[in-house]
Amino acid sequence: MSSILSQAARSIDLDPVRKFKEKGGTVIGYTCSFVPVEIFHAAGMLPIRLRGINTESLNIGDAYYGPFVCTFPKALLQQAGQGSFKFLDGAVISAGCDAMRRLDECWRKMSEDVPGALPPSWFYYLDVPHKPQGVALEWYQSRIRKLIQALEEKFGVHITDESLHLAISKQNKVRTALGELAELRCLEPAVVSGTEAFEALIARNVLPTDIYLEELDRLIEEVKSRAEPVSGYRKRLFITGSICDDLELVEQIEAAGAVVVGETVCYGLRNTSPLVSDTGDPVAALSAFYLSGSVCPRMFGYYPTRLVAISGRIKRTQAQGVIMQNIRFCDLHGSENGLLERDLEKLDVPTLRIEKEYGALTEKGRLRMRIDAFLEQLEKSRPPVQEAEG
Amino acid sequence: MRMVAGCDVGSLATKAVIMERRRVVAAAIVRSGPKPAASAQAAMDQALAQAGCGLSDIAYCVGTGYGREKISFMNESLSEISCHGKGAQFLVPSARSVIDIGGQDCKVIRLDAKGSLVKFVTNDKCASGTGRFLEVMAKVLNIAVAELGELALKSRDPVTLASMCTVWAQADVIKHINARRPAEDICAGVNAAMANRVAMMANALQLENDICMTGGVAKNKGVVQALGRIMGKRIKEIRQIDPQLVGALGAALFASEKATKN
Repeated sequence: MSSILSQAARSIDLDPVRKFKEKGGTVIGYTCSFVPVEIFHAAGMLPIRLRGINTESLNIGDAYYGPFVCTFPKALLQQAGQGSFKFLDGAVISAGCDAMRRLDECWRKMSEDVPGALPPSWFYYLDVPHKPQGVALEWYQSRIRKLIQALEEKFGVHITDESLHLAISKQNKVRTALGELAELRCLEPAVVSGTEAFEALIARNVLPTDIYLEELDRLIEEVKSRAEPVSGYRKRLFITGSICDDLELVEQIEAAGAVVVGETVCYGLRNTSPLVSDTGDPVAALSAFYLSGSVCPRMFGYYPTRLVAISGRIKRTQAQGVIMQNIRFCDLHGSENGLLERDLEKLDVPTLRIEKEYGALTEKGRLRMRIDAFLEQLEKSRPPVQEAEG
Repeated sequence: MRMVAGCDVGSLATKAVIMERRRVVAAAIVRSGPKPAASAQAAMDQALAQAGCGLSDIAYCVGTGYGREKISFMNESLSEISCHGKGAQFLVPSARSVIDIGGQDCKVIRLDAKGSLVKFVTNDKCASGTGRFLEVMAKVLNIAVAELGELALKSRDPVTLASMCTVWAQADVIKHINARRPAEDICAGVNAAMANRVAMMANALQLENDICMTGGVAKNKGVVQALGRIMGKRIKEIRQIDPQLVGALGAALFASEKATKN
């Protein structure tokens, strides 16, 4: 287990980020997997996906958001108001879903009451369309070019095609390594715990790429050389649903006697598409890659494609059951989980739906009871998982 | 064969059942205190005294309920969902669906012919549709929670509660008290609100016959009747033992299987 990956997954205040800043580096926060991180890397900046972990109170989040809103953007706003994101030079808020889109407005409004809560140099809104083709793709591409222009003007940097190609190439290395880790998680008996893998996946979002790649490669080599598989698990489980960087959830599932072998959640491994092309127009290549139809239920009309992708991954990981979690008031995943439950069970994949708040688990006992019962339900032998027809 | 036991540490009540040759020889229900270990011990001590034996006579004990991990004398623990399913099917062999309403939660369980879990749903972090809802309403009405069911059966003109939320329903009940509506009509309204909430969950699971109800709330005939009426299905009554003991009974049945294997 890598202590650097583990620490990165469990804290907002990170030593490698502090060191990057001390050397004069620029750190930019972002909030959604539809933001191409290569742009910031090409400018020599460090993009960090913002997290709301370790939030203990939502007094700030609740003050600017309504009551029936997902707790994830509230937790981000809370951390911003508490000063946890002081290390940011800038931030990009994007339209992942409506609650996340409103983080832009709420953060701006909150900063009027809490001086210094807004990143000092730059606070930018990136709109993202809900369809991946035709004029929507062209428009998204134009937004990405505008984002590049804004960065260049604000920070006096020059983002060239060459620097973008280099950044793409390096992120492709990360994707390849993560693909390798995902393949190792498919092995039975399991050789890597879900907690360990999830730490590595989360850390990707917050560490400088060179440090991350080194640690990830080391972890993969160490896992490959392990003599003993993960001990004592009864079933292999897969996690789907709302944004999740909650290691405690994975730990609790594994403490109940399961091993988590894969997930399709933000912060986890979502995009299993081919690598981004590192030749030709880099902005076109990035736009086509990031504006994927099947990666998130925010994309309109792509549920059948997502079902095929998700059931394919479930089959590949040899998962015997699926835990579909969603944050309360998450309309996108709350609705989709209903469809997934119906369709996965048609494929003989048992499912358990869990609705929870983002962050600290206040319902540990109840959650543990449901996970225990689900594992007891799975104790019966199950036919092999089928894939949905494309 | 020696005796076996099941102990169910719930949020409001702790239950213990002792069995011998798959027959209940003793059972106890105590109010859960702040320490699950102490509650489990108190329930078990009562059951042991009834059975006239000591802990050393228990060959195997399965713990269940929210406080199960704290039970010092158990051999293993299982979820209350499995235990309620097991206990219900032992008492009603034709049962394929179980609705268990406890102090702080509600579970709807589907079983196969062997009593194994097929699918289940539970309520989320909300008191609506749980025993706590009835406790709060009984307190507002200044009656014992056990009276809610019998009183409701006398109602001729039940009130309608506008909200299923425990907090808002409380305000609604006070409104009806102030409007001098008879207590039995308010009780019937409370039971119907409770049943509506549970029926929503039960319908989501597409319950199959036969359906039976377990947990403390199953003792409230008003809720059982209202639930059957709303769902358009007959709910089989558990008569052999107190329905509140079914989780502990299921745990004892699992213990019996383990003791036989060992």
